[in-house]
Amino acid sequence: MSGILVTGVGIISAIGNSVNENRASLINKVSGISALSLFNTRYAGLRPCGEIKIETEQLKHLLNAFEKGVTRSSLLGLHAFMEAVADAGLSTRQLQHPGTALIGASTVGGMCLTDELYHDANRDDEGSAYLSSYDCASVNLYLQEKFGIGGIVNTINTACSSSANAIMYGARLLQQGYADIAIVGGTDSLAKFTINGFNALHILSPEHCAPFDRDRKGLNLGEAAAFLVLERGENIKGKKVYAQLTGYGNSNDAFHPSSLSDEGDGPYLAMLQALSVAGMEPSAISFINAHGTATENNDIVESEAMIRLFSRVPSFASTKGNTGHTLGAAAAIEAVYSILNLTHQEIYPALNFKNAIEGKGLVPVQEYQKTAVKNVMSNSFGFGGNCSSLIFSTA
Amino acid sequence: MDLEEIVVHLFSPPRNTSTNLTTTTGSNFKSQISNHFMFIHYNNCISTQQTFEKTDLEILHETVDNKLKAIEPSYEGIPPGILRRMGKAVRMGVGCALPALQEASQANGIIIGTANGGMEDCIRFLNQIIDYEEGMLTPGNFVQSTPNAIAAQLGLMTRNKQYNITHVHRGLAFENALLDAMMKLRELPDAIYLLAAVDEISDYNYNIDYLDGWYKKEPVKSKDLYSASTTGSLAGEGAATFIVNNREANAVACIKGIQTLHTTNENTVKQACSEFLSKHLKPGEKPDICITGENGDSRMLKYYSAVESVFDEATTIARFKHMSGEFPTASAIALWLACNLHSLPAHCIKKQGTVKHAENIIIYNHYKGSQHAFIWVQRLEKIKPGLH
Amino acid sequence: MEKEQLKQQLKQQIIQFLNLTNVKPEDIKDDQPLFGEGLGLDSIDSIELIVLLSREYGISIQDPKEGRKVLVDINTMVDYIIQHRTK
Repeated sequence: MSGILVTGVGIISAIGNSVNENRASLINKVSGISALSLFNTRYAGLRPCGEIKIETEQLKHLLNAFEKGVTRSSLLGLHAFMEAVADAGLSTRQLQHPGTALIGASTVGGMCLTDELYHDANRDDEGSAYLSSYDCASVNLYLQEKFGIGGIVNTINTACSSSANAIMYGARLLQQGYADIAIVGGTDSLAKFTINGFNALHILSPEHCAPFDRDRKGLNLGEAAAFLVLERGENIKGKKVYAQLTGYGNSNDAFHPSSLSDEGDGPYLAMLQALSVAGMEPSAISFINAHGTATENNDIVESEAMIRLFSRVPSFASTKGNTGHTLGAAAAIEAVYSILNLTHQEIYPALNFKNAIEGKGLVPVQEYQKTAVKNVMSNSFGFGGNCSSLIFSTA
Repeated sequence: MDLEEIVVHLFSPPRNTSTNLTTTTGSNFKSQISNHFMFIHYNNCISTQQTFEKTDLEILHETVDNKLKAIEPSYEGIPPGILRRMGKAVRMGVGCALPALQEASQANGIIIGTANGGMEDCIRFLNQIIDYEEGMLTPGNFVQSTPNAIAAQLGLMTRNKQYNITHVHRGLAFENALLDAMMKLRELPDAIYLLAAVDEISDYNYNIDYLDGWYKKEPVKSKDLYSASTTGSLAGEGAATFIVNNREANAVACIKGIQTLHTTNENTVKQACSEFLSKHLKPGEKPDICITGENGDSRMLKYYSAVESVFDEATTIARFKHMSGEFPTASAIALWLACNLHSLPAHCIKKQGTVKHAENIIIYNHYKGSQHAFIWVQRLEKIKPGLH
Repeated sequence: MEKEQLKQQLKQQIIQFLNLTNVKPEDIKDDQPLFGEGLGLDSIDSIELIVLLSREYGISIQDPKEGRKVLVDINTMVDYIIQHRTK
């Protein structure tokens, strides 16, 4: 694969409202995990989350977005989308060109409005303002309409690996000539629905999550959005380029509806395929942004898969301790972090790690480092065995 | 297929093929779209009509309370221990696709389009959250409610560790899945994929769309759908599955082009239709049949009229929503119909054309007035037009 | 409630809760393992059974390891219910 370049990035997460703010937080070991304060759930004080401390109404004012039925997910998406598009210097005319694609991912969509959805689905009254906003596609359809995106628009949901697949799909549209510019990413906001879902599976931690730690107690949910602007090499004419997307892989673990196999075939195959598409040996990877959710199952399986694939496991860390697990946005925000690794030649430490997992012995990076970074692999694995891996390289 | 085979299979071709493909420039990106033909082999459908195992479209199964519910088989291929957990969407999707995967056990991937996946499980879990005040909840509904549960379950049941993806872009979920399959087949020319679509009508999403004005308020019989002058349509559901590859031998049909667009302007749709035709048809060539997604909603008729006006007396205009009902991935049912046109019954024909074959078929569908798609299908079995 | 009666009731509840459509109460033996080779239940089912114990018998099991000791077969479940039920 050649010439898929990243020319713009945008992000909002619990550790910052822009790319620069996110980078500063990563360098300074800032955690965005806290007690929920912006919406009502009985788990507000019991299950800390990576909540973006801007109320939905405030986001509307900030973004001047007052359309009927606009949801928090869409607003977060809009925030990141606008930063990425401005960063890449895309004009309205370019956005409306039939060669401009928008490929996003979401698993929550408008279901952040759990109570409204309950009343509408059970037809308790006349219907809320959000009848058209509940599904996963609502975020991208909102952006499509608002900006008149002229090309292919799509939404992907492969659970926690969704936005890796959105990035992949966008890159393939570019490679095959179905698009000239692909704006790719993902958005998810916190919802009573997902908090209760993950809690029912007993995988939410009552403490700040500790990726790859022996005594990890589960994940913290988070909310975020990120978009990247991808363009083909021959089209960019002297524009600034952050990085290239050089590899991608998608594989299914085919083991269990909500957990990964001990051998980690899905994670292993996704990473292996990403290397193969990039034409790289495992040793070419400088750093891995691991999925590292801090669940019992993920971290041990991901460790196993990394050990299987790499004769010497490269430096790695998970940023879930900073942002929480942002589900459909996770791979997109971590793509931004991987790109920051490359553009600034630095790696960010994992938080809350104390002891290595017994029998695996893998220790994530724990201090900020300035170091040579050439190729970064970013992993995302989800429910239903949906595993994906991306490789970004210096431009 | 074991792990080593997968590794060999997955990883050689993309580098070479993609280098060839990146030579496109901005100005001619559209022409690239039509270059690749994808062949449909095995195909299967669970719908609100008798389409699974034995097809009989002459008897029109009617609506009950303005809902057309799927005629589900007994799902003998699904072990009871697994079937017990499945909601309807997962059941229909898996039940429809399993026989296809048995035909193509070496499939290089599972590509699904579904707008909502297991909507019923989703709201059941939601009801638990509210009814038990976020107390101890059973996670089964939550796990089954994620739209990727269908592709995931298929991967799990057939031990398929390869490409696995779920497109959920509402009314274009299936079209994006189809485009994904076409791209995959350019990247891996010898590959074979399972392409499928499914959506269910649960009481809950019926309620939401009803409140939003997408279903008829007065009782309407299926056969009267197109003569109703009111807003809204009939609710439907279904699943369709296609095994696709690049091999023409024994194929039933060929996908020659797809175009999606987002607009609320009927003139833009009309223009897109003309461009789509001129791109795909040789000068003087006319489509034999256009299957449209006309759905009885008076507000949506303008789009269908705009598209029909592009065709002259040569082309037959056919409709299918009175059989399938309206749902986001209904175009997959139209594609299945196009593959099985020998059984297209008289009640589907809106206007009989003069062309004597049923070979070149255009499917035009749109969802909720904003997501439009054209699919050009060529049937490979040459038979007379579909009047029984 | 007699122990035997409780066993019957629990079997009914398990069938209903886990939607075991092809299983009748008499098909489940008291000492048949619930998981793996026995009834073929899995980890998601084990969580569902913990919810069943909570909703039907007012028993709260917080520690999954505790759950594994209780959810062995009908006998172990019934013994635990008799000792710990709050309703």
